[in-house]
Parts: sequence; C-alpha cells; structure tokens
Amino acid sequence: MHLTKKSKVAIIIGLLPALVLYILFAILPIIQSFYYSLMEWNGISDMTFVGIDNFKRLFQEPLFWSSVKNNVYVVTASVLGQIPIALFIALLLNRKLKGVRIFRTIGFLPVVLSTVVISLTWSLIYNSKNGMLNELLRTVGLDGLTQNWLGDTKWTMFAVLVTIIWQFIGLYLIIFLAALQNIPEEVLEAAKMDGASEWVTTFKITIPMIWSTIIVAVILCISGSLKTFDLIYVMTNGGPAHSTEVMALYMFNETFSKLNYGYGSAVSVFIFFFSLILIFIVTKVFKGKMI
Amino acid sequence: METVVKSKKDTRTKDLTSKKKSIKNTIIYTILGIFSLVNAYPIVWMVINSFKSESEFVVNQFGFPKVFVLENYINAWDIANLGVLFKNSIFICITATGITVLLGALASYFLSRFTFKMNKFIYSFFIFGLLIPIHATLVPMFILMRNLGLLDTPITLIFPYIAFHLPITIFILTSFMKAFPKDIEESAIMDGCGIFRVFWSIILPMSRPALATVVILNFIYNWNEFSFALVLINDPELQTLPLGLANFAGQFTTNYGAQMAGLTMSLVPIVIFYLLLEKEIVKGMTAGAVKG
Repeated sequence: MHLTKKSKVAIIIGLLPALVLYILFAILPIIQSFYYSLMEWNGISDMTFVGIDNFKRLFQEPLFWSSVKNNVYVVTASVLGQIPIALFIALLLNRKLKGVRIFRTIGFLPVVLSTVVISLTWSLIYNSKNGMLNELLRTVGLDGLTQNWLGDTKWTMFAVLVTIIWQFIGLYLIIFLAALQNIPEEVLEAAKMDGASEWVTTFKITIPMIWSTIIVAVILCISGSLKTFDLIYVMTNGGPAHSTEVMALYMFNETFSKLNYGYGSAVSVFIFFFSLILIFIVTKVFKGKMI
Repeated sequence: METVVKSKKDTRTKDLTSKKKSIKNTIIYTILGIFSLVNAYPIVWMVINSFKSESEFVVNQFGFPKVFVLENYINAWDIANLGVLFKNSIFICITATGITVLLGALASYFLSRFTFKMNKFIYSFFIFGLLIPIHATLVPMFILMRNLGLLDTPITLIFPYIAFHLPITIFILTSFMKAFPKDIEESAIMDGCGIFRVFWSIILPMSRPALATVVILNFIYNWNEFSFALVLINDPELQTLPLGLANFAGQFTTNYGAQMAGLTMSLVPIVIFYLLLEKEIVKGMTAGAVKG
C-alpha cells in the first residue's frame, strides 16, 4: 500500500505497543544478563565490575560441567527417543485405518498438559514405596527390579529421561503427520504401480520427501531440550547429589538460592550462546532452514 | 472353463492377500494400542486412584475403586487453595492471551500489508525472540520487575507472557495475512475507510483461522507456564495453578490421594479445552512448529 503521512503515523501507532512490551520484557533482559555477567553482585549491594572473572570461575567449576553433561544427556535422549518413535508412529497413522483420530488425540494429549502436572504424576509413578512402577514390577514377580527411582543416583537420570521422552513424542508425531499428509498421493501411487514394496516406498520416497520437516523437528527438539527446567526442578530439584542438575537449574540455584547474581548471569549468557551455536551447527550440517 | 479356473485362482490370491493384510493390520493396531496405552495410562492411573482411600490405594492400585472417596477432592481443594489458583490462572491467561493476540495482530497487519523502510528489520527483530531461551532472562527479569515495583502483583506475569509470545503470534499472523489479495484494502480506503477501520472490519475477520490458532497456542503456553511464576510470584494468594500445585505437592508428599485429586482437578479445564478444540490445536501446533 502506498504511504501517506497519515499512514506513517498509523504504522507507528500500530507497531509501538507491541515493540515497547517486547523490547522492555524480552530484549532488555537478555542484554542485561550480558551486563550482569561481568559483575559481582548479590542483588542488593552495589555491583563491582569483575570483567570475565565469573566466566573463569564457571569454566573451572566441576558442578557446572556436570550440569552441561546432563543437558547433553537430555538432548541426546530426546533426539534419539522422540524423533524415531514419533516418525514410526506417524508412518503407521498415515494409513487409511479406522480409529486413526482416537490414536492421534491420545498421542498428542501429554503435550497439552503442564510440565508441572506431568512431573508430579511421574513422581508418584516413580515413588519407591507405593509408586505404580514398583507396584507393577512386584505384581509380575520382578521384585528384584524395584528401585528407589528418584532417590538413587544410578537411576534418577534414567527415570527423568523416560518422562521427558514421554512428554514430547506427541508434538513431533503431529508435526510428522502434517508433513506426511502433504505428500501428493500420486507420488505414492506411482511407486506402487512400479511395484515398489512398502519398505522401499517408505525409505526411498516418503522419508526423503519429509526430510526437511525431520530436520526442523530435530532442531526444535535440541533447542527445547536445552530449556529443560520445570520438569527436573519439580521432580528432583537436580538431586540426588546433583546427578540430574541441568544448566538452567544450576543457574537458578546459584542466582536465587545462593544469591550470586553476577555468576548466575554468566551461566545465563553461556546457555544463550550454547543454544545458538548448537542450533547453528545443526542447521549447517543438515542444511535445514533456521527458524 | 478356462475363465472359471482363472477366477478361482483370482479369489484364492485375493484371499491370501487379504489374509496377509489383516495380519498386518492386527500388528499395526497392536503397536498403536501399546503406544496409546503408554501415553494415556499414567494420567488414567492417577485419575482412578484419586478416588481411592489411602488404604485402598496401597492394596489395590490397578483396579477401579470399590468405594469412590470424594474426601481427597475436598482436602485438595482446601489445602492447595485451588479456588484461588484457578482464579489467578484464568485471569492471567485470558488477559495475557487477549493483549498478545490484539497487539500481535495489529503489528502483523502493518508488517504484512504495508511497505516501509524498517519493515523487514522489525519483523526479523520480533522473530529473533523465538531464539531467546527464557531461562537466560530470569535474573534480569526479576531485577527489572523489582525496579518497576511489579514484583508479586496480580498483573506481574502478564508482561513477560506477552513479550515472549509476541514472536510466535506475529510469525503466524504475518504469514497468514500476507496471503490476502493485494487490492483487499483498496476499495475500502476508496470508500473512505480509515486504516484502523480496515484492520478491525476487514483484516481481523478474514484472519479468523489464524487467530484461533494463536489464541489456542497462547492459552496453552500461559496456562502451563512455570518459570516466570516461580521467580516473580511469592504471595500464595497470587500464585498460578502450576506454581501452587508444585508447592502443594512439595508440602504434602505423603498424602497421595489429595495430591492426585489436586492434579486431576487441575487437568479438567485443559483436557476439556483440548478435546473441544483438538482439530484447531493440532493445526496450530503444526503451523507454529513446522515453521517456527
């Protein structure tokens, strides 16, 4: 549309409220966390400029590195657990079967529920005394396999990862289903006419045709996994003995429990760049589209 | 004679393929059934057991309750202060969603229907927000809110919720509005319609499907949000549902029945919302996720 003076004013009026709120409450905080990361500060007293001291301390802190390692576990488990299972189920659901809708509805349900509710439900399932999992093992006579799932450093990470995988399979399932339904029917018909078996069609035609969607799903999955916080905060609060602590949780505890605002901000800055770099690498390697 | 033989052979192969097909379908249904069971059972288990007394829960976890105990629900409602939590969550959710969608739609209208110098930059600037990890903003957000005197008030959470959901809202709405034919506003303007009138009476009604999507997405995000609430809200009277539930469960770790009843009650609104709008939600999630 051509611009008159009046429309210029209108544009400013129209964009300003959204821009102001967005800059003030999303952009400003992320910039400020850079600034705070160079300070030593407990949130109340005066700030002292310490340069990159916070980062030096960060890189020498074994607990921080163990939280990075746990984050890598979450990313790996999510990508290897959620994506293949979701793709497999989506391929099964993408047929002319009766009741597909019901399976789809149930499949997506966990994605809609709040992480807090999911964490609490699974905490009850993992409960060592009366939890469903141990009760189930006892019922089928596998008493020896019962564990203190959330209290034993050997098992806690495993238990948490199972819940994380469970929570988001549905999201990728729906994404893959949408992509599969966009494949023109003629393409698959033609393959069938040429005598291609279902396996061949799936691996040589269907999957390559939705490859870009798979890459987007992987990127979403990685960036989502790096944000893991609520679930672990509620289920284990990083314990026992820091065995499930992830970066966001380490940052949270340093800042709000130990009141190391500067140091906590340094962790924030690290998380920010870590996500950005990882997403960048994945996009480059798979030649996917960023965003 | 020949044709008879041939047709007999035909039916036989048909029988064989249909038999093969039915075996295949059985396998597929079995896999899908197991998947659905694993997906739904944790929730169903919790709902069923929320009706059992503590003593029945211990001896009979997998069956239906012999007597439906409603006491858990009364306890949970009182102890967890669920009435207040619901009220806070509904207020924050509706206000934040309304403002986000309205401001987002307005911004999307100008970004998609007008050409001006900063257009591309402002759009990318908004989309950049999709990459900001919210946990990296918790510390400065806390301090900013404290300096603004907005810590622990009924409207505190509305601000970060709007700011962090504008990117996805603008992203979806802009791509939708861009697809409208170019001359859509021309005739209205010729008739003397103002720019904002065009937005309100033409663009908004035309964007209904995309608006439904962003309303649903915003509602689900806001309803479930936890981190900002955890950092910015302290007063029990101002807590949202996820925050209140987390605190409640932390304090009553041994009262399984009440915990499960509380969780079940908190599930009801969002599950109804989901089942009613399932089609739109799925559409919205795919639109938002595939592209965003």
